[in-house]
Amino acid sequence: MAEVVLSRVRRDFGAVTAVHDLNLAIAEGEFVSLLGPSGCGKTTTLRMLAGLEFPTGGEIRIGGRVVNDVPPAKRDIAMVFQSYALYPHLSVADNIAYPLKKRGVPRAERRPKVERTAELLQLTPLLDRKPRQLSGGQQQRVALGRALVRDPKVFLLDEPLSNLDAKLRIHMRAELVELHQRLGRTMVYVTHDQLEAMTMSDRIAIIDQGRLQQFAPPQEVYHAPANRFVAGFIGTPGMNLIEGTLSQEGGAWCFTAPGLRIAVGQLTDDAQAGPATLGLRPEDVTVGAGPVSGIVRVVEQSGHENIIIVEIAGNERLTLRIPASILPRTGDTVALAPDATHAHVFAAGEAGQRLNTATARPRPQTL
Amino acid sequence: MTTVPQTHLERRYAALGLLLIAPTVLVFCVVIVYPLISAVYLSLFSIFTPTLQGEWVGLSNYQALLSTGEFWTSLGNNVIWTVGTLVLQIVFGVAMALVLHENLWFRALARSLILFPYFVSTVVAVLVWKWLFNDLYGILNHLMIVAGLIEFPLDHLGSMPNAMISVIIVGAWKYFPFVVIAVLARLQTIPEQLYEAARIDGAGPFARFWDITLPQLREVLVVIVLLRAIWDFKEFDLIFLLTGGGPIIGTQTLPLLVYKEAFALNRMGMAAAYAVVMMALMLAFMLIYIRQTRRRES
Amino acid sequence: MRFVRRIFFNLAAWAVVLAVAFPLFWMIVTSVKPQFELFRRPPTFLPDTFTLEHYARLLIDTAFLVYFKNSVILATTTTVIVVAIATLGAYSLVRFRYRGRENLAFLVLFTYLLPSVVLLLPLYLMLVRVGLSNTIASLVVAYTTFALPYALWLLRSFMAGIPEDLESAALVDGASRLGAFWDVILPQLLPGIISTALFTFILSWNEYLYALVLVNSDSARPLTTGVVNMLVSAFNIEWSLLMAASVMMSVPLIVVFAFLQSYLTRGFGAGAVKG
Ligand SMILES: Nc1ncnc2c1ncn2[C@@H]1O[C@H](COP(=O)(O)OP(=O)(O)OP(=O)(O)O)[C@@H](O)[C@H]1O
Ligand SMILES: [Mg+2]
Repeated sequence: MAEVVLSRVRRDFGAVTAVHDLNLAIAEGEFVSLLGPSGCGKTTTLRMLAGLEFPTGGEIRIGGRVVNDVPPAKRDIAMVFQSYALYPHLSVADNIAYPLKKRGVPRAERRPKVERTAELLQLTPLLDRKPRQLSGGQQQRVALGRALVRDPKVFLLDEPLSNLDAKLRIHMRAELVELHQRLGRTMVYVTHDQLEAMTMSDRIAIIDQGRLQQFAPPQEVYHAPANRFVAGFIGTPGMNLIEGTLSQEGGAWCFTAPGLRIAVGQLTDDAQAGPATLGLRPEDVTVGAGPVSGIVRVVEQSGHENIIIVEIAGNERLTLRIPASILPRTGDTVALAPDATHAHVFAAGEAGQRLNTATARPRPQTL
Repeated sequence: MTTVPQTHLERRYAALGLLLIAPTVLVFCVVIVYPLISAVYLSLFSIFTPTLQGEWVGLSNYQALLSTGEFWTSLGNNVIWTVGTLVLQIVFGVAMALVLHENLWFRALARSLILFPYFVSTVVAVLVWKWLFNDLYGILNHLMIVAGLIEFPLDHLGSMPNAMISVIIVGAWKYFPFVVIAVLARLQTIPEQLYEAARIDGAGPFARFWDITLPQLREVLVVIVLLRAIWDFKEFDLIFLLTGGGPIIGTQTLPLLVYKEAFALNRMGMAAAYAVVMMALMLAFMLIYIRQTRRRES
Repeated sequence: MRFVRRIFFNLAAWAVVLAVAFPLFWMIVTSVKPQFELFRRPPTFLPDTFTLEHYARLLIDTAFLVYFKNSVILATTTTVIVVAIATLGAYSLVRFRYRGRENLAFLVLFTYLLPSVVLLLPLYLMLVRVGLSNTIASLVVAYTTFALPYALWLLRSFMAGIPEDLESAALVDGASRLGAFWDVILPQLLPGIISTALFTFILSWNEYLYALVLVNSDSARPLTTGVVNMLVSAFNIEWSLLMAASVMMSVPLIVVFAFLQSYLTRGFGAGAVKG
């Protein structure tokens, strides 16, 4: 049993609150990413889970046991640090063996385990080196090895792939996912790379300024962002957010902005007529025919698709993703058709909550 | 910004931290804090050193001290010595650091030779300089006569103002390496691009020193001046060994006065009063230095 | 032109360096000259006759070896005690959180600047009262007053340079706080400890004032006061002998300079100037 539960966990550093009453229930064996901009409190949360930082308030449970008073050594966790934190005076092999040694694994049993881990991480030729003789990526793999050599209840990983080159990163991503499936251990994975979070996680916890914004599977985070922050944070290029007015006409909700008018389907009871924000993903607008017209300002070709920026009335700029077969030129006037079924509506203001009732796109069917 | 420990684990860590600092605190209390307080207490007594017997006299030691000429003379000497030797240390130290920062032949050897006086015992330094200063056979007088600077051998330590000048020079010789090392360390962190940019703008070597090097050194120089001022002000060994405060009291500074009162004139209480006043005078500098450090750390 | 300027700069710079080093050179030269050669005019810059007789006399006829032994015991004991206490203290000051921690750190800095003459008199009274006067132990106690704040301040700055994550990693990997200290922090701190130990040793080796006041018998006298005593007790000052004593007294320092100089420079950077 290794579910991880945070209840109203808070951490203050003097006047700064790094983590704000965080509630998070991670199921046994789940792979959860903590995703958010730099300084949002990801590392602090992870350190509190590890017992390296003390919550100013709230309760942390691992496997049903309240661990607020349990020292890190007794929590049965393994952690990869953002700074690697390799022991500079120990060789790679001794670094990886250290957690085993500390838990009283006899020397003879340590050897094969270290070798197996090294093989998994392609570290075998480096076992005798000291950390300072390794590249950044190699060091990161040693840090990973030190965590993987044991079989703890929970893995805590603080941006473990951030320093690898693109190819190795994709490789390690797959390795980690496979490892997770094989071991079935709970993993908490900190990253600021949304692609990593989207591809690897069962669920993503999106944090901003120490507050949880949404905790949901990747598809839901993408297709039904809980608020404006999540909407803007997830997806590249980011969602187009347009300020306008919400009004009710004969029982149906309608969003208006200069040069734009959309029927937005069903909204929650919280929805009120008045200012609101409309969100449109770059791929949810078709170019060619439609009620909205705009002037193309920027065209970026990336081979399999084109990204264009179109200026519509009221100086609003929309970023659109269109098939490579359509190639407008800068200065062209184009007609646009926003896909009303995939339009997101948020309450007015920076922290505006999602107002749509249904998820904009049905969950993918399981086979 | 210490938050109040909340969890049991946090309190246990705090307890371990206190346990580790306990020996330090204990030693501090016994050999520093307690003596410091009793120094103030002692200064309110009149104590005969050989018997250590004494009686309460209140503030009269301080009254006496402020009205004696010797205190003011010693304070004056103390200021002359401190300012004199400090200025030489800084000027010579910065110049030497600039030289050693250049591509000198056998730079490491030169650096070692420069560093040595700082680490050598004051006793050794003074013995050597006394031999150099020797009026009959000293090499210094000989060289000065050969060079035509003087006609007759000088009495470097036995007459004024020679004695004060000699003390200041030996002090500068012994302590300028501190300035060299500190400045050199800072010089090595000045980015080379700054100089290249200035060179492109057509700045000559002096302009580069004034406009780039000196501003960059400002902060470390403030620290050095404060530290050295504090250390020079309380210097005892060097002056005591070189001149013993003489001729008469020509080079007698406050630390020497404290020693003389306590162990030559056997007036321990009075000596304590001198020591306390001296510390009070230094306190301003010490507090400035501590505030500086505090600011740099946060 | 550039080349000529470079040569000129080097010659001038080296002239100054040699002038600074001259007293030390002169000390060595004097110590190996026979007595009569000292008084020759003009003086000889290199000895005409080379002799080690002063060194022999120093070791055989005087109490020099006793002083030397006292100094070794004194400086070593002080260093070991001070560095041990200061290492634990610095670990506590840098890596633990408790009330009063920061004020304690600045109390350390304050005592580091404190003039010894202020502590001298009360310490003297205290040591006389507990019957420690005239012993090496009394000097160890007295030397702690300046060596401990110094060592603490230096080690604190070295300790602060060790990444906190290293200790965190050890804790997660299964170590206790003290286990992490032993396994991870101590090996990282070692250069800092060596550096601090060297400074503490040199400081204690060179100390004069406390030795002058607290010890008044040859059996416990360290080198500094011992050698000065030889100077004042003789009828006529024997400069060669004194210079030989000076050279011998600087031997530990020369050893440090020859083999461990980088530690000295590192200590400078860590404690004296930066913080
Ligand atoms: N020891 C500390 N003292 C004071 N403030 C701290 C401390 N540790 C973290 N903080 C603050 O808490 C906030 C969260 O920091 P944290 O390291 O958790 O961010 P993060 O999400 O991991 O960022 P990054 O992606 O850059 O690693 C930041 O504003 C940081 O400045
Ligand atoms: Mg982080």
